[in-house]
Amino acid sequence: MPATIYRPSIFLVLVLFLLTAISVTAQQADAENCNLCHGLTLLGISTTADGLRSFEVTSDGYNHSTHRNVICRDCHTDINVFPHPEDVASVECYKACHITKPFALTGYSHAEQFDAHAISAHGFNPEYSDEKNEAKPDCKYCHSNTFRNVIKDEALEKSTEHCVRCHEGEGLAGVILHVSSHSGHRTAEASIDVVELCSSCHADQGHMKQFDVNLTQVEGYERHFHGKALKRGMNEVANCMDCHRNHLNLPADDPNSSIHPNNIQQTCSSNSYCHTDATAKFAVAAIHSEPTTQNNPIIFYVEWGFIILTAGTMALLFAHIFLDFGRWVGDIWMRRRGK
Amino acid sequence: MSQDYTRFSLNQRLQHIFMFVPFIILVLTGFPIKFPESEFWSFVLAAAGGIENTRLVHRIAAAVMILDFAFHIIYVFYNLIKNRPSLADMHLIPNKRDGQNIIQNMKYFLFLSDERPRFHKFSYIEKFDYWAVFWGMFIMAGSGVILWFPVLFSKFLPGIVIQIAYVAHSDEAMLALLAIIIWHFYNVHFNPRIWPANKVWFKGTLTEEEMEHEHPLELEEIKAREEASK
Repeated sequence: MPATIYRPSIFLVLVLFLLTAISVTAQQADAENCNLCHGLTLLGISTTADGLRSFEVTSDGYNHSTHRNVICRDCHTDINVFPHPEDVASVECYKACHITKPFALTGYSHAEQFDAHAISAHGFNPEYSDEKNEAKPDCKYCHSNTFRNVIKDEALEKSTEHCVRCHEGEGLAGVILHVSSHSGHRTAEASIDVVELCSSCHADQGHMKQFDVNLTQVEGYERHFHGKALKRGMNEVANCMDCHRNHLNLPADDPNSSIHPNNIQQTCSSNSYCHTDATAKFAVAAIHSEPTTQNNPIIFYVEWGFIILTAGTMALLFAHIFLDFGRWVGDIWMRRRGK
Repeated sequence: MSQDYTRFSLNQRLQHIFMFVPFIILVLTGFPIKFPESEFWSFVLAAAGGIENTRLVHRIAAAVMILDFAFHIIYVFYNLIKNRPSLADMHLIPNKRDGQNIIQNMKYFLFLSDERPRFHKFSYIEKFDYWAVFWGMFIMAGSGVILWFPVLFSKFLPGIVIQIAYVAHSDEAMLALLAIIIWHFYNVHFNPRIWPANKVWFKGTLTEEEMEHEHPLELEEIKAREEASK
């Protein structure tokens, strides 16, 4: 009975095929087999300067990271010999790697983003002290590329919602969904996470005091409709990046800034899902300011007017209610006393 | 023989219902955004189907309320033109008697007098309620419509108006809610002489005893008129 001979072998072939397929995807990123050593849990050194430093790269985490298809030496370019030298340059995000851009044949790099960041408010400022420059966010501060094991579906959905709201109707929705479902790892942040990320510095007044910036930005955002609606789960409202851009964050007095008075109208109306055909008068509405007598006296006095009106009205109404109730209680008391 | 006296016509009672039903919906769908971190309003928002739903529901309720208010304005003007009442017959207009009534009521509250003020068709308490809603409607509907179409309004209004609308809508909403649940609810529900509810908004009539107690001047006038027409 030849069939009985073949059946187990077909099964075996299938199992072997599946195993190979799984291991191929796992090994694809680590073509140079770095994880032979770096997969070891206790791999690390102890130096007087750094203390204990782990060199472990968890293979599971690596396979699920954004950079899982980038071989290690594409970024760690200094590491060419074994054993590795003690001092190696740190990873620079602008260097081109062996990944090719989608729809292009050039080597992929983050140079464009790196250059934008360099001239942005977050970039290196020669007039600042080293300490002050270091207090600004570098690539890794925002793009931590944390090795996450499995991204939560919920977070992924939020991320794709964010992509689709721009790219819908351009035929790109499918591509975006495809890419993000494969690499949904901090590549496209949900709006609420963007605000949280920016707030990690900008809401910290102690930290921000050293820079010449508006200290109530985050508070102002949260007071306004965008911030409030976002907290209530409305993902299409503007987050920080929608108006301030993602890498080229420039102060309002820079003529190239997205929030410069000459450009703000364009910024409000630039996206089809935002305030299309926003007028100049619409765009000047201060959405970040904590109103004061100096920066926004009209709103300051309107707010105080309402506080006084409300408090005054309530005081009178409460007094009336209290007296009315007092008379009722008094009547009962007198009736009982009279009997 | 005791008889019932009509206080509110069916038309007027419907106007009240078409005002307070949207009011409740507007509060429930608006306050979760005013207080984005409140647990209580989170619960309300979730129960109402989330922000995508409540934004639509808020606008529908607003439209109903605005139409009701517009109907009321037309109704008032129609009656003014049709009946040409004298100033004394326009019972909602504040007058000298309200001042006297307030003083008398204070005396009564403070046990300086045992006589309650004698009210006509509307006491100063009710007039305050009416005009508070009247003012509130202009602020809420005006600012609300501006916030509904901010870009459109910015075409012919200065940008600051949109900011004022944002502040006014939120703050006047608080004032309106407090006025209703504290003042109006005390006067028609929680007042121990009224508790659990004054049913006139539903029945539309008051008994002779109620008229005697709450609106003696009006009752006198009705009786005098009946007497004269006999």
